[in-house]
Amino acid sequence: MRTVRATLLSDMLPAWRSRVVLLVLLGAFVALLGRSLYLQAVNEEFLQQKGESRYSRVIELPATRGRITDRHGDVLAVSTPVKSVWAIPEDAGKVNGEQLRKVARLLEMDARDLTRRLQAEGDFAYLKRQVAPDVAESVMALGLPGIHDQREYRRYYPTGEVTAHILGFTGVGDAGQEGVELAFNDDLSGRTGSRRVIKDRRGRIVEDVESVRAPQDGHDVALALDGKIQYLAYAALRDAVAEHKAKAGGIVVLDARSGEVLALANLPTFNPNNRGKLNGAQLRNRVLTDTFEPGSTLKPFTVAMALEAGKVRSDTVIQTAPGHLTIGRRTISDAHPNGLLTVAQVIQKSSNVGAAKMAGMLEPQQMWGKFDALGFGAPPHLGFPGEAGGRLRPHRTWKPIEQATMAYGHGISVSLMQLARAYMVFARDGDVPPLSLQRVGGRLPEGRRVFSPETARQVRAMLEMVVEPGGTAQRARVPGYRVAGKTGTAHKLEGGTYADRYVASFVGFAPASSPRLVVAVMIDEPGGNIYYGGEVAAPVFARVMEGALRNLGVAPDAPVKPMQMARGAAQVPM
Amino acid sequence: MRIAGSTGPRAVSRAIAHGGAGLPAMVRQKLRASPLPHQQTRGAELDTTLLWSALTLLLLGLVMVYSASIATAEGSRFTGHQQGYFLVRHAVFVGVGLAAALAAFQVPVRVWQQWSPWIFIFGVVLLVVVLIPFVGREVNGARRWLPLGPVNLQPSELMKLFAVLYAADYTSRKLADMRSLLRGFAPMAAVMVFVGALLLREPDFGALVVIVVVSAGILFLGGMRARLFVGLVAVLVASFVVLIWVSPYRLQRLLNFLHPWDDAFGKGYQLTHALIAFGRGEWFGVGLGASVEKLFYLPEAHTDFLLAVIAEELGFAGVFTVVTLFALIVHRAFAIGRRAVMLERPFAALVAQGIGLWIGLQGFINMGVNMGLLPTKGLTLPLMSFGGSGIAVNCVAIAILMRVDFENRALMRGVPA
Repeated sequence: MRTVRATLLSDMLPAWRSRVVLLVLLGAFVALLGRSLYLQAVNEEFLQQKGESRYSRVIELPATRGRITDRHGDVLAVSTPVKSVWAIPEDAGKVNGEQLRKVARLLEMDARDLTRRLQAEGDFAYLKRQVAPDVAESVMALGLPGIHDQREYRRYYPTGEVTAHILGFTGVGDAGQEGVELAFNDDLSGRTGSRRVIKDRRGRIVEDVESVRAPQDGHDVALALDGKIQYLAYAALRDAVAEHKAKAGGIVVLDARSGEVLALANLPTFNPNNRGKLNGAQLRNRVLTDTFEPGSTLKPFTVAMALEAGKVRSDTVIQTAPGHLTIGRRTISDAHPNGLLTVAQVIQKSSNVGAAKMAGMLEPQQMWGKFDALGFGAPPHLGFPGEAGGRLRPHRTWKPIEQATMAYGHGISVSLMQLARAYMVFARDGDVPPLSLQRVGGRLPEGRRVFSPETARQVRAMLEMVVEPGGTAQRARVPGYRVAGKTGTAHKLEGGTYADRYVASFVGFAPASSPRLVVAVMIDEPGGNIYYGGEVAAPVFARVMEGALRNLGVAPDAPVKPMQMARGAAQVPM
Repeated sequence: MRIAGSTGPRAVSRAIAHGGAGLPAMVRQKLRASPLPHQQTRGAELDTTLLWSALTLLLLGLVMVYSASIATAEGSRFTGHQQGYFLVRHAVFVGVGLAAALAAFQVPVRVWQQWSPWIFIFGVVLLVVVLIPFVGREVNGARRWLPLGPVNLQPSELMKLFAVLYAADYTSRKLADMRSLLRGFAPMAAVMVFVGALLLREPDFGALVVIVVVSAGILFLGGMRARLFVGLVAVLVASFVVLIWVSPYRLQRLLNFLHPWDDAFGKGYQLTHALIAFGRGEWFGVGLGASVEKLFYLPEAHTDFLLAVIAEELGFAGVFTVVTLFALIVHRAFAIGRRAVMLERPFAALVAQGIGLWIGLQGFINMGVNMGLLPTKGLTLPLMSFGGSGIAVNCVAIAILMRVDFENRALMRGVPA
């Protein structure tokens, strides 16, 4: 203890040691400041860039899809804001049964289905897409963990099933999938905008950094469609299909002057606002995608070809007795033997033999050329998806019997739209204009000349006789207007042979003095004993034509008296 | 009063405690040679620099804990989606810490020394208890907490202070033997190995590093033979090298922090986000409350990585302030310790410097980890990070430091402490 006694504490706890420790610590602090300075003032750009890549996101700003309107500006399709309810399943794990049932009730879902969705793998699951905003809000008001909503647009079609086929619909991604929605998708869909935001780790936006691109809403598309005529056409078709227990039906209304499609309807149809249970039959736009053997509705073209070629005149008499004609090993026959018929009467009475004989006067190439000019064998190019072109075989392969049957509409197939378009040739003094789904403004389009005006007028006069007493379609008459048209009652081809099933059709136009509208009606497989075009399709034509002409304010061109008879006849129960 | 013939350190300090009149001439001379720091007004009874530095860190910590934890608290089921969950608790901890500090300040240094072996034993008992299954609470694979009603006690946090007290007491009792390997160093080393083993069982490697380094530092300050100390460091380094040589993957794991971007979304996830926070802060920060990193990107934003949030929201200015305040505390602790040496108070001197070393070391490690200078350790930022035991113990440590200073001043003025 001697050393201790002689020493002061400061010698035993040397000051230099304190100083060394203190200096080491302060040196360490200086190093911290240096490092901090490096991170915050030298290397900060690299670090910030790394940070941006983690939480800066470019998010899409949805553009509103353009509206589709009819020719009067009435809305046929519009995008409305809706919300989708989604969940992060892991976060939503603590939601109890009672709360789940509440959510299920609000979303009108089965609680089990909801539970199944919440048990999904991954960190994102839709609970229900496209619900009304107030429904989503009341779900969010429950304040449940892990359940979120997001804004979306939903396409709404005010006219529902009436315009289902012409408009088509969009998918959930707001892209057109069918009909006009697909045909005009580029115009309708806007350009999605984007902005850069900072998101927290849970994906919520915490800061708006910059707008990269403003969203550009889609353009509105004004269709040529006339909402009132469309409804009329749809309702008339619907009633006829129901009345005759038919399998399907189609109707198209064209403006004879402009080539505009004023109405287009199919049955069966669907509600585009609720596409829960759809089948292919409902979706088919038969007017454009389905082809059928048109039957007698093709005879006027054969007659026109013979007239145009100078082979016959309208008063040329053709022997159709004994009601059948054998070409090669096959025989063509009429429903009723007619004997001697003028060319006009061949149309009026719808004689197969007469038509076949006139076809015999023509070269296959001549006939093919006219059919081709009329638009048969090629799609009408309206821009619709799946437009059918029908079957028109090359004339080199034609056999005489085939040429003869084509004269009355067998061995050739067309869509109803093609048929309606071809009838423009009679409604328009011999030319066929291009069709248009959109309104045609300003100058009317030039048509493609097929027949001379003289030929067209002659056939038009013959077609008028079809609805007169003695014709096959007296029920196509419209009070106050002169109507022209042609019936068709074709056996359906099934597996290569003709079955006892029919396609009843009527194509016509009015007023005959200065045609304004072309209406084509097709009823597929009418049930029961009534299946003639004149009985099944003609009344639909009459109802639509009458309403449409009055709606358009077209001046009547016929005395009132004979119509009353026709009206009376139409109301006779069958 | 007779003091002649018993001028050993103890006798001197006892004499001091009973009046400065009996100071040996040499001591008086030394005291005159080292005047009071000029920023302290004559007659001031407290070290205001120390006090205000500590209080500033506490309050800044409270604000930053709130800012860093708002999003986590609001977004977590665990907290009941209350945004003030951590703020309220941290405020209570700070309140409890300040109360504990006031109480600790009333306790004379002499009493601390008398009780330090018992306090240390109490700490060791706690370290044992926390390891008992179903008694200690396990979080993320570490059994570090003792559930104590509404709060959890973290024995390893308490142990940091207890080890300082014990090492200071041990060293001041064995000043004469400090140059001996067997009598001076070996017993303390044995105790440390035991405590270290307990800490590794939890595991709490951060606390182990702090306690071992601080204890060794106190031995060094207490006169341990320099050659011995260098040898000790050499042995530690050598064993470390051997450990790595035997299993290189440890080195890889340890050195991950040097290449955080190599596996930025895996091992480097936390660190890269901390670094991004620093980068975003630049000179003056993105503004209080505007941190993006705290929005669930940076884990432990309100505890171990609080500095990263400070760096992002307050920028280099904020980091500079925090580092400077810690440096001030450390500097004051050593100044107070040296003054105690002058006043022949070995325990007080070693406790003061030990506390300074502890706060400084832990602060440095935490901040170094935040900046990617050091491998990740589970160490909080003293006086600032969220955590009840840590805050309370830090407050008590500062209070003891203040008490040493208080008694120093009393002795200087010749007033019995």
